[in-house]
Amino acid sequence: MSAVADRYPELQELGVEVISVSVDSHFVHKMWNDNELSKMVEGGIPFQMASDQNGAVGRAYGVWDESSGVEMRGRFIIDPDGVIQAIEILTPPVGRRIAETIRQIQAFQLVRESGGTRATPAGWMPGDPVLEPGPDLVGRVWEVWNPRMEK
Amino acid sequence: MGVRVGQQAPDFTAATYHRGEFGSVNLSDHAGKWVLLCFYPGDFTFV
Repeated sequence: MSAVADRYPELQELGVEVISVSVDSHFVHKMWNDNELSKMVEGGIPFQMASDQNGAVGRAYGVWDESSGVEMRGRFIIDPDGVIQAIEILTPPVGRRIAETIRQIQAFQLVRESGGTRATPAGWMPGDPVLEPGPDLVGRVWEVWNPRMEK
Repeated sequence: MGVRVGQQAPDFTAATYHRGEFGSVNLSDHAGKWVLLCFYPGDFTFV
C-alpha cells in the first residue's frame, strides 16, 4: 500500500480518492502505518485504511478468500457515478503496479470526458493518439495504430 | 457473490484509521469522485 501512498499526490490531482481494505482492525492499521509504512513513505499512509474484520466488504466485491479468511489482492477503479470500470485480482504473493492503475484511470477519464466518443488503444499512454470508433474506422485501425507503438 | 465491470459498486461502511484518527468510511462519501479501492491480504505481510 505504500506504493499507492507514494503516488497519492498524483492521484489527487486526477481527482481520485483511495480506500484500502483488509481484515485487520483499525488498531492494527495504525500500528502498521506508524511502525512500518511511515518508514517507506514520508508522512505515512495519506488515505483511509478501512477494516473489514468479518469480510463483508470483501464478499460483496468477490475478493473474500473463505479458506484463508483474508481478502485477495483486488483492485477496483470506480467512476464518479459509482460504476466499476476496472477490476484486477491477484493472489497474495504478487504485488500490483500502481503506474498501470494510474494509466488506466487516465484512459477511463479521457473516455468519460469524451462522452464515450473516444477509445484508447492497447498500450495507450497520455498524449498518444486515441481512436474515434465509428463506421469510418472499421478496417482502418491499422492506419492509426499498430502494436509497435506500444512502449 | 461478486461484481463485474459496468455494474454499480456495492456501498459499504467500515471502520478506518486515517492520518492519526479512528473513524469510518462509506463508499458513498466519495460519490461524484473517482475511487481507487484496494484490497490486500493483511497488514505486516511482505508484498
